[in-house]
Amino acid sequence: MATTEERLRKLVDDNLDIEGRAAGEPLHMDYSLRESGVSSVDFVAFAKIVADEFGVTFNPEDCAKYNTVGELITRLES
Amino acid sequence: MKTVSSNSVCKDSTSRLHWWSPFLVFGKITVAKVDLSANAAREKVAAGWLEESERSRIKGYLPEPRRHFVLCRAALRAILCQELGCHNGDLSFGEGEYGKPFALVAGQAASVSFSVSHSGRYGLIALARSGRLGVDLEQAVAKRHLNTLIEAVMGPDERRELGEMMEEDKLRQFFRLWTCKEALVKAFGTGFSTDVSSFQVPESVRQGGASGVFRFPHLPDLTWRLEAFEAAGFAAALAWELPPTDSDPTDSAD
Repeated sequence: MATTEERLRKLVDDNLDIEGRAAGEPLHMDYSLRESGVSSVDFVAFAKIVADEFGVTFNPEDCAKYNTVGELITRLES
Repeated sequence: MKTVSSNSVCKDSTSRLHWWSPFLVFGKITVAKVDLSANAAREKVAAGWLEESERSRIKGYLPEPRRHFVLCRAALRAILCQELGCHNGDLSFGEGEYGKPFALVAGQAASVSFSVSHSGRYGLIALARSGRLGVDLEQAVAKRHLNTLIEAVMGPDERRELGEMMEEDKLRQFFRLWTCKEALVKAFGTGFSTDVSSFQVPESVRQGGASGVFRFPHLPDLTWRLEAFEAAGFAAALAWELPPTDSDPTDSAD
């Protein structure tokens, strides 16, 4: 069974273009998606896709509060 | 809407390095355009205008987002100092409940409203002495999963209308509508805690018009003016709250 990090990485690969990151690369746990140059529309749609994939309810503003990938994974696993 | 051609925002000994200029005027609201292209001299000057908390904030940013933030924030500082007649060292920023920034002069909230957006190599800064406002700018670049984005952020009529468009028109219209939505939630002050698919851009704007009047479905007593504009592969929108007497009952929101 895929880990949370693997599932999140696939969603990032499929939906986001991040400066300097090639698809499939590991996600750094201290990496901030909101501050990586992802556009607002991509970020809002990504938050909805993550919520659907993990069966959680949070809006994009909540998603932005989890400053790093590590914090987001912690939230998704809680 | 008026176009402004002369640079009168701020003139000082570093004017040759200015990367912002007046762009548009909507009544009492001015909109400045910010050039975010790579320029080491500008970035050095801009970084020097930031306070320690702002420099700390960008330590983890990638190079391009860092440049965009530094150039936009420094331009905002210059514009606010000019408007408020204050020194840069006395200017700081606070954040509202949903992260919307506001200006402080010597620690006191300043009577000014502003909104900042950037995309690609440009930024926009909207400014007024009072009233809530929001601006958004997006470079209309091709999207890998445009239909997924449409499903995520558009309302039912918007999805249907976009679904009937040719691909090129669809992308352009998508960014027109998106910038309107983001400008509205920024003006309202709640940002993306408001579900942007829960409301629709006024039909007049969806049908190609440049302006419209909007009301959030859950707040029908508040009226907002919306102006959409486009240039060279970019879409942008400005939204601001209208006093009750300025509301136009003939142009209701969806």
